[in-house]
Amino acid sequence: MLGKYFGSGRSGAFDWFFQRVSGVALLITLFLHFWVLHYATEGPVTYQKVMARMVSPAWKALDIAFLIFAVYHAMNGFKMIIDDYVHTPGVRAVLVGALWVVAIGFFGLGVLTIVTLKVQA
Amino acid sequence: MKKVVFQPKVRYKLHPGYLAWILHRATGILLGVYLFLHIWVIHHLSQGEEAFNEVMAVVQSPLFHLMEIGLLATVVYHGLNGLRVVFIDYGNLAKRDIMRKVVYAVLAVSAVLVGAGAVPMLRLAFGL
Repeated sequence: MLGKYFGSGRSGAFDWFFQRVSGVALLITLFLHFWVLHYATEGPVTYQKVMARMVSPAWKALDIAFLIFAVYHAMNGFKMIIDDYVHTPGVRAVLVGALWVVAIGFFGLGVLTIVTLKVQA
Repeated sequence: MKKVVFQPKVRYKLHPGYLAWILHRATGILLGVYLFLHIWVIHHLSQGEEAFNEVMAVVQSPLFHLMEIGLLATVVYHGLNGLRVVFIDYGNLAKRDIMRKVVYAVLAVSAVLVGAGAVPMLRLAFGL
């Protein structure tokens, strides 16, 4: 019964396309992320070093975009795995629902972290 | 509703493209789990300097710096192989004689990038 809502109801074309778009975006943002955090700065990551960057609204905006691409890409990836291996409509609905809860929860946590930082500039 | 029965395929041939797909899926699961852990660790940033530095001290021990190399390898492979998948869709990398070579190229370039990228992490791990 639930099958039609997840199977034929949507073509999945957007999911397919945006998985490629977010993937290429992540290649760029992840390279920047690794470069800035592991290679451009010496030694351990500390509160002071991170905050020096988070003062800038541009960095916050970039981090939020990064978070959107990463959470979407991860969630859609897990959805594809569920689609591949779970064939019972009810179980699939429960798993995809749980995935939505986890993804929205962690996305909210990530956005709150970036937005509510007490920046002492 | 008619029950659909999926018959399992009896044998799979371990073609390089199939191996690349298995690795892509395995690294994808690892990265998804890591992403959620990472968001949770970094959320300590909003709880002030003490809380953040405390949690970062745990994840920046020598053992974690060595595990970072594994993370780098996972990210680099998944990223490069993902790019290969995009070029299968939009380019001609699905061609029989090309596909195998590109899989090997992805593995080789990944190995080089991880080898180069591991140097700062090894230095941090061993305090050099």
